[in-house]
Amino acid sequence: MAAIRFSNVFKRYASGQDALLGVDFELASGEMAFLTGHSGAGKSTLLKLIMLMERPSRGQVWVGQQDLSSLHRSQIPYLRRQIGVVFQNHQLLFDRSVFENVALPLQISGYDPADAARRARAALDKVGLLTREKHNPVTLSTGEQQRVGIARAIVHKPKLLLADEPTGNLDPQLSEDIMRLFGQFNSIGTTVLIASHDLSLINRMRHRMLTLKHGRLVADG
Amino acid sequence: MAKPGRKEQATAVGSRPIEKSPAAPRRGARQHRIQFADRQRSWRRHHLSVAREALLRLKQTPVASLMTLAVLAIALALPGFLLAALGNLQALTSDWDPQPRIALYMQTELGDDAIDSFSRQLMLRDDLASVELINREKGLEDFRRYSAFADLLERFDANPLPAVIMVLPHNTDPLAMPLVRSELAALPGVDEAQLDMEWVQRLAAVLALAQRGSYVLGGLLALAVLLVVGNTVRMTIESRRDEILVSKLVGATDAWVRRPFLYSGFWFGLIGGLLAWLLVQLALLLLATPAQALADLYLNDFQLQGLGIQGSLIMLAAATLLGLSGSWLAVSRHLREIEPGDV
Repeated sequence: MAAIRFSNVFKRYASGQDALLGVDFELASGEMAFLTGHSGAGKSTLLKLIMLMERPSRGQVWVGQQDLSSLHRSQIPYLRRQIGVVFQNHQLLFDRSVFENVALPLQISGYDPADAARRARAALDKVGLLTREKHNPVTLSTGEQQRVGIARAIVHKPKLLLADEPTGNLDPQLSEDIMRLFGQFNSIGTTVLIASHDLSLINRMRHRMLTLKHGRLVADG
Repeated sequence: MAKPGRKEQATAVGSRPIEKSPAAPRRGARQHRIQFADRQRSWRRHHLSVAREALLRLKQTPVASLMTLAVLAIALALPGFLLAALGNLQALTSDWDPQPRIALYMQTELGDDAIDSFSRQLMLRDDLASVELINREKGLEDFRRYSAFADLLERFDANPLPAVIMVLPHNTDPLAMPLVRSELAALPGVDEAQLDMEWVQRLAAVLALAQRGSYVLGGLLALAVLLVVGNTVRMTIESRRDEILVSKLVGATDAWVRRPFLYSGFWFGLIGGLLAWLLVQLALLLLATPAQALADLYLNDFQLQGLGIQGSLIMLAAATLLGLSGSWLAVSRHLREIEPGDV
């Protein structure tokens, strides 16, 4: 079964810029793939369509069994709860602790606080930051902040994990650590799609690679 | 501890639709029930924690919060105070007979008997509803008892007051009254006929006008409260933009995002209302002594009334409602603009 399916998807922004031009692909459940291309090739747009941060101008996007075009605005939160996302600029909140940042998705989904605390600690443990749970994210290094972002993305055990340039500002060693972390999640059955332009790193990872160029999917494999 | 209990209950309910129904939907229903109960619980928990956080957030910016609350308190206290004052005036004048009477001042030369028979003749007239004679002794007694100028009487050798006959015409129409008055004034023995108590009617009209005025003022100030709360909440929304974005990205519903701001408005309204209530009570307390002195002068057993329990509750409820509505306005206008489209 496909975890993500794009069928002839076009996206033109209100500014008139064409971000995606007839994109077709399927990502099987449990698969891990990289999405690459130059900046402006449409990688972020593609991820935004999956999250319904944007809607396609034409074509259809499925996440699991769900046709996103039939999803009403009020149902979007429940789609997003099934997906974990890691952002390039990590989007952490600096008015609360690392632990509270990670526990936020659980709190929003209505988990029991004790259960949420247990799961948040488990997620922090997985990214190796359990000892920092009480710190403010602002006191953490960039690499650590990115790992907190990853912990937040996987805390609710999503079936689908998306990442937009997760290694953007990191040195090669840290980048490789982060990518290995994604590999671990994939090995326990999570479908993973990572947008990245770090080709040397991606080539070493030996996973499927989707290449976007000017909004078109030019290579797959 | 609660979990097994709920499960048992859910199983009992699930097994009720007898053997006919297949096993699979029954399992689905059971699961759904538990999720529903859990959701209810987490919903209540979230409300409590958000209410508490919203209150704590007011404390985090004490100066700004106090300024806003002071504005709200004053805006709410003004109509509250006006309505309380009017309520008091109306209570004061409600014992006064608003029916217009005509006072016939009799010539002082007439003897008591003549006046008595004159008043009996008036009683026979069809156009008068009631006739009340206040003879000279009664008038003197009343004057001594009720007037501040009782000392003046000692300067007179004889009773200087005329006998007075109060008459109430059947037709109390403002246009008909003067005609009755002049007719009665022309009767022999009548020194002067005066349309009395007209001012009570005027006072009542003035009070009604003042009441209407304070409603208008209250409406305007309520609008001001809406705007003040709305603007304060709008600024809070701006300052928590990142939090809203991230929450929406990890699956927060509109209601979830809205809740803290609605609670801010709720607290602003409630606390502003409480402060306004205090202001009104304080103002009435300051007025109580002079009002009592004034009432004593008129020998009235008048007591200054506060807002009362009902009035206080209405005031608090209105304030809370205004706070909530103000934040609702801001939230519905500004929260939709914050969508994680351009992260």
